[in-house]
Amino acid sequence: MRKLSIKIWSLIIIFLTITVIFMSFFTNFLYDQLYVKDSEQSMIEIGERLQSIYKGGKVTDEMVEKVEDYNMYSIFNVFAVRNPRELSACVPFDIDYNTLIGPDERRLLLKGETVTKIGYEERFEREIISVILPLTDQNRLEGIIYLYYPLARITELANSEVMLLIGSVVLFSLVIAYFVHKGLCHIMRPLNELQTAVEKMSAGNYGTRVQVSSNDEIGNLTEAFNKMAAAIQKEDEEKKTFLATVSHELRTPISYVKGYSEAIKNRFIDGKEKDEAIQLIYREANRMERLTNELLQLARSNKENEPFEMYPIVLSETIRESVNLLRNQAEQKGIQIEIIVDESIIVLGNEEKLKQVMINLIENAIHYSSEKASICVLTKIIEGNALIKITDNGIGIPEEDLPHITEPFYRVNKARSRADGGSGLGLSIVEDIVKQHNGKLVIQSILGTGTTVMIELPIMEEL
Amino acid sequence: MKRFLIYILPIYLLLMVGCSDEKFPSINHHQSFVASMNILEPSMTFYDDLGDEIAEWKFEKSYTGALLIPHDRVLLYGKQLPEADIYELSSGKHLATIDTGLGITNSYYDEESKLIFMTNSETNTVTSYNQHGEKFGECQLGEYPMSMDSYNGLLYVVNYKDTKLSVVNIDTMTLQNEWSIEKSSNGILVLPEEGELWIGGHGEGSKPNQTVDVHQLKTGELIDQINVSIMPVEFARNGQEIYIINHGANELYVTNSDGETLWANEVGANPFAVASFQEKIVVAGFDDNKLYFIDRKEIRKTVDTGNGPFQLLVREVK
Repeated sequence: MRKLSIKIWSLIIIFLTITVIFMSFFTNFLYDQLYVKDSEQSMIEIGERLQSIYKGGKVTDEMVEKVEDYNMYSIFNVFAVRNPRELSACVPFDIDYNTLIGPDERRLLLKGETVTKIGYEERFEREIISVILPLTDQNRLEGIIYLYYPLARITELANSEVMLLIGSVVLFSLVIAYFVHKGLCHIMRPLNELQTAVEKMSAGNYGTRVQVSSNDEIGNLTEAFNKMAAAIQKEDEEKKTFLATVSHELRTPISYVKGYSEAIKNRFIDGKEKDEAIQLIYREANRMERLTNELLQLARSNKENEPFEMYPIVLSETIRESVNLLRNQAEQKGIQIEIIVDESIIVLGNEEKLKQVMINLIENAIHYSSEKASICVLTKIIEGNALIKITDNGIGIPEEDLPHITEPFYRVNKARSRADGGSGLGLSIVEDIVKQHNGKLVIQSILGTGTTVMIELPIMEEL
Repeated sequence: MKRFLIYILPIYLLLMVGCSDEKFPSINHHQSFVASMNILEPSMTFYDDLGDEIAEWKFEKSYTGALLIPHDRVLLYGKQLPEADIYELSSGKHLATIDTGLGITNSYYDEESKLIFMTNSETNTVTSYNQHGEKFGECQLGEYPMSMDSYNGLLYVVNYKDTKLSVVNIDTMTLQNEWSIEKSSNGILVLPEEGELWIGGHGEGSKPNQTVDVHQLKTGELIDQINVSIMPVEFARNGQEIYIINHGANELYVTNSDGETLWANEVGANPFAVASFQEKIVVAGFDDNKLYFIDRKEIRKTVDTGNGPFQLLVREVK
């Protein structure tokens, strides 16, 4: 597997090379198009001006001098030629010397056309751009004006020091490669750190965090990773706490059951004491059964990908049935349960689950209320939602415990006494079920005055 | 079968056309003419003494030269052609072909021996043929033999790329003598009454020649140099007047046989050929494709001719 940094590095180097090659071609092209064309145009203009000096007849010495004088003012080399030998005048005959213009060019010049040549010229022993203008009179090529300029081709310039050029390019590429490599290392470092952190996480070290050093995508990724790590760590801790709590909760009844059953088996206790012990064993077994049931329920409700069946429910009916189930328990403590319900409210939900919610909440209210107190269960529609409000005048919940009240096994009473009954899972189950109904659970409480639990459920719109 | 015919018929027709003898416009037996041999688009244009066009022969082959030979015939040859062709003027018909080999640069007819001579630049030889085109003899010469003239059983050949003139015995076709001359010499004229031989030329390298060299006919000794303008390359003669064409100066230069200048006149553009025809001087301008008819020192008529007139042939029927 190739590293990402090597891929990016290669990509940059390839782009760089392509750019260099393209630029060299493009420069050549521009050179041809602009420099050469421009020179050609200037030469033609000068040539035409010089051509206008010629008034016909033989090309005179004066004319030749005038043209050559122009060399002093021009960057181009210019001269006039009248020697017919140089002008390929003898061409039907074999010529064994190098003429200045060829027979084809002579034909063009005879027609009065200007000839432009670009290339190596033996006469000047170099590449030149030349412009030749005819001096014609009555179809006679009396002479020519020859302008030329050495083509300092970029390649020609480089030819002499081509090794130096190649060396410079290689060196330049190496330097660029080095800096790109360094730059990439710098950019990739947070990624490498992230990778190390992920490996540590996989090994179970959930406390791992990566320092956020940049504000870019990698920085965002690092932040997201840190958040994820924190979430995993929290979850892990919660799980550990949960397991510890569960084992603690189970150990106590088990040690009761074990101790008393052993005493009975070894006949240490008899008669009335034995009956009481059996009673205790029975109670603790019940407790364990309830605890395991609730754990099972909690585990099930946590599985969000196992949705339960939802259908329209008349909320008042569900509340009444739930209250009826708890009527005896309430009457034992002399507690009055007042029901104020809006009969028209219909919500989409699972009746069993909602009953469970109501039972848990009302049970809690009964449990933490003093004797002969009253509990109020109210339903109404607020802002398109159904509101269920259960108010008691019980012992209340301390403010600092309120945010944690729905956590499994969280108890306000840290002594975890079994005297106040609950398993510590009730409100967790309530919260889960409400969430599954897309609802909202709010618990308000003032210590010593009472607690109000409010549940908002989306109402089923009448079609 | 029909299909077969469709394919075969055009080929058959093509063969028929190809095999049929090429026939050019005929030239009357009694017609005097000056003809210009045009080499850029090979053709031959015939004119009468008034300068009116009689006929035009357009050639498929890239002929570079022509020679009038007895019995109403013309010999056509080309430097890039392996053979020379003989046509009859009065019928325009092809009569014979002579296998010459590539590299024919010039041809010459000697009245005295009635032989045709052709110089070859590939083999550097001159070959003589009888009037039927049969090879008579051959002689090895210097580099690139071209200009020829004859007198008294001797053929004088200028070797264009060499520094010598070859003197060949016509009867034996053996090299009799070699004279020292300038390189790139071209144009030769024997003046028997003066015992002189005049040689023109382009000049060596890029330096143009500006003289006509006069050699003694017997010894070959350079006895005089006639100053003319630039690059005298061909001579023509009418009685006491010698016409010299200076192609570098576009000038016709006229001297007497003593080499004294009679008159000179600018004519044509890059003229290579000059001829005397019916008391007129005819000059061919190579660059302007024109023939100039000069009478009493003045250009009397200018006519357009084919592309690249390089040679003038004259027939004067008495």
